[in-house]
Amino acid sequence: MSLKILLGLLAWGTLVGLDLVSVPQMMIARPLVAGPIAGAMLGDVWTGLTLGVLFELFQYEVMPVGAVRYPEYGPATVAAVSAAHAAAGTLGLGLGALVGLITGMAGGVSLHVVRRLNTRAVRRATAPLEAGDARVLVRLHAAAILRDAARAAVVTALGLGLALLARTYLAGTISVRGVILLDVAAVGSALAVGTVGTLRLVGRGPDLRWFAAGVVSGVAVAWLR
Amino acid sequence: MSTAPRARPAFGRSLLRLFTVQGSWNYERMQGVGMGVAEEPLLRDLRVAGNGAAYRAAVVRGAHFFNAHPYLCGLAVGAAARAEHDGVPPEQVERLRTALCGPLGSLGDRLVWAGWLPLTSGLALIGVALGLGLKAILGFLVLFNAGHVALRWWALRAGWAHGVRVAVALRQPLLQRATAVSGRAMAFVVGVALPLVARYLGGGFLGWSRVALAAVAAGGFALLWSFRARLTGVRLGLALLALATFAGWLWL
Repeated sequence: MSLKILLGLLAWGTLVGLDLVSVPQMMIARPLVAGPIAGAMLGDVWTGLTLGVLFELFQYEVMPVGAVRYPEYGPATVAAVSAAHAAAGTLGLGLGALVGLITGMAGGVSLHVVRRLNTRAVRRATAPLEAGDARVLVRLHAAAILRDAARAAVVTALGLGLALLARTYLAGTISVRGVILLDVAAVGSALAVGTVGTLRLVGRGPDLRWFAAGVVSGVAVAWLR
Repeated sequence: MSTAPRARPAFGRSLLRLFTVQGSWNYERMQGVGMGVAEEPLLRDLRVAGNGAAYRAAVVRGAHFFNAHPYLCGLAVGAAARAEHDGVPPEQVERLRTALCGPLGSLGDRLVWAGWLPLTSGLALIGVALGLGLKAILGFLVLFNAGHVALRWWALRAGWAHGVRVAVALRQPLLQRATAVSGRAMAFVVGVALPLVARYLGGGFLGWSRVALAAVAAGGFALLWSFRARLTGVRLGLALLALATFAGWLWL
């Protein structure tokens, strides 16, 4: 992988990380978007789409309400696609999922760290804020956004580093059966998480009947195709 | 003192700043600083009218604690700014902001996080599973953001139009119906998407691996459902991947 592509992935991961909470929340942070674009940058849209779909299922578990902590799957998907790209076909799916889930956890921790740093910055600026100084207010806000951009860049760099390590040291040491087992674990857990996450959103009310009707329709379409 | 609002307040600038409303999210004021930044352009008229003290006091109030759904924050920004222009007593402006946190959070969570977002994402998943590829992703971005931007714009305008009587905007029948319909539509669409995605992701597995995939998915579902208070998806995924790596090394 060339330095140009690596820097492109780093820039894309940073934008994706920034979109999650700070600016502009237009959902490029969704794995379904982050993955295919990373794949296109690597000339491998198929891997990007597949890992995008896989991590989108993990994303269904996340409800970003208030101060709740959750994994960050945007930059994680970018790193996962980078890890999976080198392995042909479905062989890289499990490897990508492994790198992506670790990066996702690190992303979640980094969000908490940045929020604590923001809290400290706000406390330090209490006096001018309580005096109604609009310039301090805007500067504080802009600094926090820059802090989040730096966080997203660090998380993406960590993920891309992990991807490089996985490709170099792990990919060659696992047998073909082992690779299939990794893929089974990745896809199986994604399907389980996606289903449970959706059922939590749907709840036990009348929407559950609509969900059941959807599943029956989906099975019929899948069977007919 | 009441300051008559000008005909075209700085809605554009305020809306642009609302896209960054969570940029300085923190554990003390949560979205407060971002709210203050978004409200500030709408308060500049107070300063222009020679009422610098009122402007500064309004900026202080605007940056106090606030937490709601980010797409609906504009409603509170518009309402609070209008109240400041209308000369509403400061305590009442503070009460208005506090009172809006819960309803705006609850409405936004149901309408967007549990409705519009999974609905449009589910449609994109169906598209990808049916072979539309990048077109499905582009469609998702366009469709989701059409609703997203429209909601932010409506919220800001409605907040400004109603001021302290902003609750009227929240009781709009269209909004209530949209919340109910998006929940049902989301449930149906994601229901359709899940079997198609299972086929899309599981298509490459043959023989014993297909049986293993079904067992892992069913077992994972049972574990997550049974231990939902303690077990998260990322932990389950990592545990299964670690187990698979170990088994792969043993089973050459």
